[in-house]
Amino acid sequence: MLKQKNIILSLFLFLLITSFMIANPFYVNASEQYDNTEIRVLVWRDAHSKAVKDKVSEFEKETGIDVIIDDLPTQSLTQKMAMNLTSKTGKYDIVAVDEPYVPKFASYFINYNDWPQPKAMENKVDLSIVPQGAVDAGSWQNEVKGLPINANVYMFTYRKDLINDKDLKRKFKNEYDYELQTPENLNQLYEIGKFLSDEKDQFYGWAPFTVKSEGATVEFMWLLRSFGTKILNDDLEVVLNVDKAVKAIDYYKKLLEISPPSKLSMGHPETIQNMESGKLFSTLQWPAIIAGHENPENSVVAGKLAYSTNPAGPGGASAITGVWTLAIPKSSDNKQAAAEFAYWWGSKKSGRELVEAGMSPMRKDLLKDPELQKKYPWYQALMNNLSEKNAVHRPRFPQYPKVSDEISTYFSRVISGSMEAETAMIELKENINNIVEEYKNE
Amino acid sequence: MSKLPKKTRETSLKKKSLWFKNKITPYGFLSPALLILAGVLLFPLIYSFFLSFHEWNMASGEAMKFSFLDNYIKLFKSESFWHSIKLQLIFVGASVSIELIIGLAVAIFLNKDFFADKLVRALLLLPAFILPVVSGLAFRFMYNPQYGAINWFIKKLGFAPIPFLSHPKLAFLAIVIQDIWRMWPFMFMILYASISTFPKAPYEAAKISGANRWQIFRYITLPLLKPSIVIAVILRVLNALKAFSEIYVMTNGGPGNATTILSLFIYKNAFDFYDMGFSAGVSYILVIIALIFSVFLVKKQFDF
Repeated sequence: MLKQKNIILSLFLFLLITSFMIANPFYVNASEQYDNTEIRVLVWRDAHSKAVKDKVSEFEKETGIDVIIDDLPTQSLTQKMAMNLTSKTGKYDIVAVDEPYVPKFASYFINYNDWPQPKAMENKVDLSIVPQGAVDAGSWQNEVKGLPINANVYMFTYRKDLINDKDLKRKFKNEYDYELQTPENLNQLYEIGKFLSDEKDQFYGWAPFTVKSEGATVEFMWLLRSFGTKILNDDLEVVLNVDKAVKAIDYYKKLLEISPPSKLSMGHPETIQNMESGKLFSTLQWPAIIAGHENPENSVVAGKLAYSTNPAGPGGASAITGVWTLAIPKSSDNKQAAAEFAYWWGSKKSGRELVEAGMSPMRKDLLKDPELQKKYPWYQALMNNLSEKNAVHRPRFPQYPKVSDEISTYFSRVISGSMEAETAMIELKENINNIVEEYKNE
Repeated sequence: MSKLPKKTRETSLKKKSLWFKNKITPYGFLSPALLILAGVLLFPLIYSFFLSFHEWNMASGEAMKFSFLDNYIKLFKSESFWHSIKLQLIFVGASVSIELIIGLAVAIFLNKDFFADKLVRALLLLPAFILPVVSGLAFRFMYNPQYGAINWFIKKLGFAPIPFLSHPKLAFLAIVIQDIWRMWPFMFMILYASISTFPKAPYEAAKISGANRWQIFRYITLPLLKPSIVIAVILRVLNALKAFSEIYVMTNGGPGNATTILSLFIYKNAFDFYDMGFSAGVSYILVIIALIFSVFLVKKQFDF
């Protein structure tokens, strides 16, 4: 009888422990738990995402999750994302969203607070480790819509070897009566750029971004903020100050005088070509492209560049951000696995390896790491530019693409001389006001 | 039991079977192609027409709302729309007419036997086989004031480089030149094929009658060529109305809106602003323009 009781008790205990183990994932090996799980990831294409692609097999080995990464140029990515999100296909389990598009697609994403806790990774990425400017970029209506993954900011890049050249220093001092140094303000930027420019040698002081695209919009916004004005305020009121905008344009036209001949149709390929062949003194550049400038295999200026807070204008220093955020669509069937992938990407451990493979980190502990700062000299400037004081976000509302199109169109008109700056700014203000009013009335 | 005699019944059945074989069976064979055609051509046409009467921002997540003629009213009020229509018509008019003149001149000039004539004619056709996007990218680099081949020549001649793609009028001219370079061989191909089959007799008779070269061209070659010219122009006009990728990669519609022809305007509204109803409305205007051109030109052909 006692024996029978023991058997029943043992059986009961066995069942209890087994069911506890099944119910509690702590007892389940992560790679077994995610066996046959496949996630599809949609990301932008540059050195950063390439690093992730190169290292993703380590995540797959660790978790058993198969990751399929589709990387596309920004515009194609946004279109593909829009189609998949709006038709709720669930094809992508995680998507990278460029900062200005966060408001437009925010309703399709799970808030970061509601992301599942990790089972395979050590912990969920604590957002206090990310620069505040990047967290703000991934937020909409006081909710963080995903994990900011690329602390991207438009950053002043210049030739330090020329600034430190003794002969040039002496000549510059004689001509301008102050030291040849890192330009601290826009006036110095123009004067130093002009001093170093040499048409005969095809060497230019500045590379603008003028080809009609989002890049031109970013350039114009940087210019406006440096002169103390902007297009829209947080309450979606058009606050562009025409006088300040005209002064900004007049200044920019001076910069164009010391720019390469293709100055009115310059985009990334032209700037990269000029910079890496040693024909430029300075430009504003994104971190992913800077990595290429510092690669001695492609660039004659590798090791000769320095990075700083953007030169201040009458309105102070400003740096336009372009943060990418990893977001999980509500339609995803693999939210848990998708979150694991984002936690892996955002963790310090894998972050270090990804940095070596070419990634631009978003964690403060990696950006501040002295060893990494020595190896990647733009990290400190990146952090300074991403500080709350300097970081400038593009207007944040769902109709931003229309606003951007208007800005790049009018910017292009004034710099090409087909329109007077004042008339253009008045028209621009009116057109953006119409877009905002239309949005408010919807 | 039918009252008809057996033989008549058999004949009637045979007739029916023959009718079925001749009239119905071909449709059976055609049906897969017709179904595919309906799926890829008819359905998008009908759906986009339906869409043009709705307000639907694809990225908003909201369902489409019936708005009747709102999209059409909005587009007719839009300055950008009229600007794009104007650019589109100038683009089609300029490029197709110049391509026709070059194609015709070269077809007449090369309509004779000479050393390596076949090779020359084949080489002339090459640009027409290049993808528009590839041609656009190549021209974008050739026009570059710093590194471009065209500006290299200009600099060699002692002039300052010309910023073709950043000056509003020059940029438009630049996209027209690109189109002419790529598509004049198409005109040449059609016109040469026609000219090479012309009978010799009218030409010999004209020569005997003392007609000069211009008279021969004006009163013999041109009338004989007219049907081919009409076909070539219709095909080219329809093709030029669809021009998109080469301009997209060359200027993206800029500087300002200087090269935003209708197809770029449609693309911008559909895939940058996700305003699907509005862009479907604009697309239908493009379809109507294409139809007007085609009907006008086909009618002209029958008037000859």
